[in-house]
Amino acid sequence: MGFPHTPHPRETQVLSTHFGDADARSVDGWKKRGGYQALANALGTDPVAIQNVVKESGLRGRGGAGFPTGLKWSFMKLGDGKPHYLCCNADESEPGTFKDREIMRWTPHALIEGCAIGAYAIGAEDCFIYIRGEFTEPLQVMERACADARAAGVIGKNAMGSGKTVNVWVHKGAGAYICGEETALMNSIEGKRGNPRIKPPFPAVAGLFGKPTTINNVETLTAVPHILNRGADWYKKMSRPDNPKSTGTKLWSVCGNIARPGNYEVEMGFPFGEFLQDVCGGAPKGRKIKAVIPGGSSVPVIPWEQAAAAVMDYEGMVAAGTMLGSAGCIVMDDAQSIPRQAARLARFYAHESCAQCTQCREGTAWTTKILERICAGDGTAEDLDTLLSIGDNMTGKTICVLSDSCATVVSSALQYFRPEFEALIKRTTIHAVPQVVAR
Amino acid sequence: MTAPMVNLTIEGRPVAVPPGTNLVEAAKQAGVLIPHYCYHPGLPVAGVCRMCLVEVEKSPKLAPACATAVAEGQVVHVHSEKAREARKGVLEMLLINHPLDCPICDQSGECELQDYTYQEGRADSRYREPKRFNPVEDFGGDVMYVPNRCILCTRCVRFMDDVAKDTVLNVTERGDRAHIGKFEGKDLTHPWAANVVDLCPVGALLSKDFLNKARAWELDRTASVCTGCSQGCNIIVETRDNVVMRFRPRSNEAVNEFFMCDHGRMNYRGLNRRDRLEVPTILGPRGHEAVDWEVAIDAAVRVLKGKRAYVLASPNCSNETLHLLSRLVKKTNGVGSFRVDQGIEAPLPGVTDLALRADRAANGRGAELVGFTRNETPLAGLQAGDALIIADHALSRADLEMAGRASAVIVLSSTMPAGLARADVVLPTCTVVEEEGSFTNLRGRVQRFLQAKAAPGLARPGWYVLADVLQAMGESTAFFLARDVFQDLATSNPAFAGLSYDQLGLRGLPIAGQAAGVAS
Amino acid sequence: MSHGPSASGGATIKAGHHGGEPYTPVFVGEMKARLEDLLGRYPTRQAGLLPALWMVQEARGWVSEEGMAEVATVLGVTPAYVKGVVTFYTMYHQHPVGKYFIQVCTTSPCHVCGAEDVVKAFLEKTGCGELGVTSADGRYTVIEVECLGACGFATPVMVNADFLESVTPETVPEVLKRYA
Repeated sequence: MGFPHTPHPRETQVLSTHFGDADARSVDGWKKRGGYQALANALGTDPVAIQNVVKESGLRGRGGAGFPTGLKWSFMKLGDGKPHYLCCNADESEPGTFKDREIMRWTPHALIEGCAIGAYAIGAEDCFIYIRGEFTEPLQVMERACADARAAGVIGKNAMGSGKTVNVWVHKGAGAYICGEETALMNSIEGKRGNPRIKPPFPAVAGLFGKPTTINNVETLTAVPHILNRGADWYKKMSRPDNPKSTGTKLWSVCGNIARPGNYEVEMGFPFGEFLQDVCGGAPKGRKIKAVIPGGSSVPVIPWEQAAAAVMDYEGMVAAGTMLGSAGCIVMDDAQSIPRQAARLARFYAHESCAQCTQCREGTAWTTKILERICAGDGTAEDLDTLLSIGDNMTGKTICVLSDSCATVVSSALQYFRPEFEALIKRTTIHAVPQVVAR
Repeated sequence: MTAPMVNLTIEGRPVAVPPGTNLVEAAKQAGVLIPHYCYHPGLPVAGVCRMCLVEVEKSPKLAPACATAVAEGQVVHVHSEKAREARKGVLEMLLINHPLDCPICDQSGECELQDYTYQEGRADSRYREPKRFNPVEDFGGDVMYVPNRCILCTRCVRFMDDVAKDTVLNVTERGDRAHIGKFEGKDLTHPWAANVVDLCPVGALLSKDFLNKARAWELDRTASVCTGCSQGCNIIVETRDNVVMRFRPRSNEAVNEFFMCDHGRMNYRGLNRRDRLEVPTILGPRGHEAVDWEVAIDAAVRVLKGKRAYVLASPNCSNETLHLLSRLVKKTNGVGSFRVDQGIEAPLPGVTDLALRADRAANGRGAELVGFTRNETPLAGLQAGDALIIADHALSRADLEMAGRASAVIVLSSTMPAGLARADVVLPTCTVVEEEGSFTNLRGRVQRFLQAKAAPGLARPGWYVLADVLQAMGESTAFFLARDVFQDLATSNPAFAGLSYDQLGLRGLPIAGQAAGVAS
Repeated sequence: MSHGPSASGGATIKAGHHGGEPYTPVFVGEMKARLEDLLGRYPTRQAGLLPALWMVQEARGWVSEEGMAEVATVLGVTPAYVKGVVTFYTMYHQHPVGKYFIQVCTTSPCHVCGAEDVVKAFLEKTGCGELGVTSADGRYTVIEVECLGACGFATPVMVNADFLESVTPETVPEVLKRYA
């Protein structure tokens, strides 16, 4: 498979309209497609007015947390005399998620425009786009686009001839999932280990270089020019009639055991079952979908029956017992062993833990070791309860939620697929270690 | 101007603290210890060990007490079921890769991991996997790193980073591979580096000097003051069987916060000398003869009769000894003189006005205050016919030459001054750890030290011997305790006016005319 | 420092033999100018750390202790600090690697699509045999990498800076032909 695929008729293309259109990658090409008009208008508008339009549109953060974007922007105290920063989170590393990569590869100027508007709206002159180091092509495209935009006067000291300074810079990561956490990302730009920071202080008070900072996901910022061009009402309408809390379109990355993997853009409120079966083509031939992780590896895995009935928006996914997260949808068919996948994901978190908090540093590794032992046929009857108890200790007790994510993988897998674990344990003939009697 | 206090309740106890105080400190005020590892009042907050999780009413999640500021009306539960379970979870996690090698670990007995595990940890471990293993590493200086015991609290890294301002330690790697690291060839040679050993809450960072020498529970601990320089860092002297084993810093915000330098730390060695003067002696026809104290005192008085007392007093003598020496000088129209050994000044940048001072003695200031003169060649004024009294002062080659001019020599010391050709009377005295007394540091802060061990043989505190000498010379000096001598000093010397042992406590007070703070 | 059992194994480059060629500074002339230009974007020199380390790796193929020390000097931080940062990020090579550094994504989405077999194929066809070990001819080093962020195109593989999509065990020989 490659990208772009031919859009499915049930998709609503907004951000993905120009995916695959190589001409859209240049400044002129982007302008020809209506690009940078929103920026030109924005730079002549009061920043608070821009914040209000975005608030009104109902746009929520597309990186995972789903925090209302306009509200986040309004936390920035304009005119406080301090430098402000905008960070664009392009560290897309959540397993299952690959939408930002596509945005940056095909429509770099859409992102630059979003960044420039966002920066202006929060009183920042500099925006850093933090792109993970493994994204060599997006990095190249974005670096080039930034240079072009600067040369064309779109951004820089006198952006779009407005007399205002808006800089957009690319900062290259170096291999750390946790740098997708907002405060870790700031530390990373500052040349530190990518350790998440304790909050408070929140970034809007003391963020990058200790200055007021806002951080938004690539997809979030890319949606902003469209909202400014077409109005908050247009954006708001793309939602379920009974749920005004999730609005607009959402890019869904679909991967794993699925007939047509790729990025799909649908309106909020789309039925998940139909999406996976019709739009994405269902399970590969001869197989059935067993389980789905709808929002990137950090959200609970749910069985197919539950997913089939779910609705694709923030609230719909919560109602289905999981979360929308970053909309990186991992599909697993009936040939997959859930314990094995849980072990693999736990190993991912163990590898990526920054090592600060005790529960995360030790807990992710311990969880991995137990799961791998179970998969290797050395599980014991107590292991499953131990896993859940460790998971409890890893949840809600650390600086960031990496630890919680690892626990979620295990707890949801055990909630819905416990018999698979038990079957592995029943086959165990030799216990790894003799039982130690307490006291 | 004082900001209004914040009122809150911790474990049912109301407490009022200044705004901005964190919950660990607020709880201390309420008499409640919130278990913690990474938090240390002398270091920036990291909030990583997650041990100090407490339940704050109306807050959905447990709060890390170290990183949570007090709020008006807050109700905090340290020992609620939820908080205890969370900490039990942390303790279990900390122990999964921690070796159970307490029997051979130096930290055993003063280990916070042991303490809290006994207090609220699980009785067993559910960990069935192999433990992580990393080899022991020499970090240079006096520090050894045992990574298997490390709980990654990063106190050591933060100390070197933010207090010593010399980032030689780091966290290397991430996840469960993480450990404390350093750069090849860049050792912990900072003059204050050994503080990381004290800061380490477990047995991961150990003193090479103290390694396998004593168990923590065998040590007797006594409050004292370091004699390594004129800073006057507050210390704890730790002894076992009357032998000084090590010095550790004792916190005093006005002087040394929580720290002491490596130079001061190693000074304990000089207090275990085997060549101590143990018996009073007088020079007789057959050389030095051991005599009773009464005989020796009489001999000293006899030697002094009609002569000027030329006193060469160590700037490490206590205020009390110096005071009585000054009375002797005054009585005989004599001279009081001293020299201070010099070294390189080494500040601890992260703490205001804290340094290993160039003056490598504790009480130069005290000597000056009792009227002694600081002089590079302290015996330059010695005249024939003078009686030279050497009070624990080391003698240079030049000193030895000049000492020859004296018509009589009295040694009032803990050890015999090297190279001294002749001594008419030798009066053995105690070292700083064998007596009670006080010093005055370079900022004029008077600080008490207590007796940590017994003196050898018949050695007596310097002030005690001098009180006897003065009494035999007709002075009224019936002092039985160091505090009596200090009282005499306070009434006779305006610099010490108004001070008393009771007021000084164990944190000390500035002399008259000195600001109370460190930055005077 | 060596490590005992850890929950993450396949993603580490193993220390191999490397000749003791003397280190020549990276930040001279054009490279120095490039770095200083970059530093203009940031209010602190320390913020130039990740870019500077990238430049060292670009120039020398890996980040040696000497490289860390040079970066430390240039940016006004200590070598220990730099090392703490280098070891945090997996993309900086702390040991020399083969001419072609092959990273195969094996995280869950790729795992369910058979990434393990792609890894096996690479290990076999390159002659590396083991993860993190450079082949005897010095051409290849193969490691597992955590999520490359191209999950819809399983299995994504990076060969040096080239990003390949949808690699299967069958296409591995073809891929290697391009990197001979």
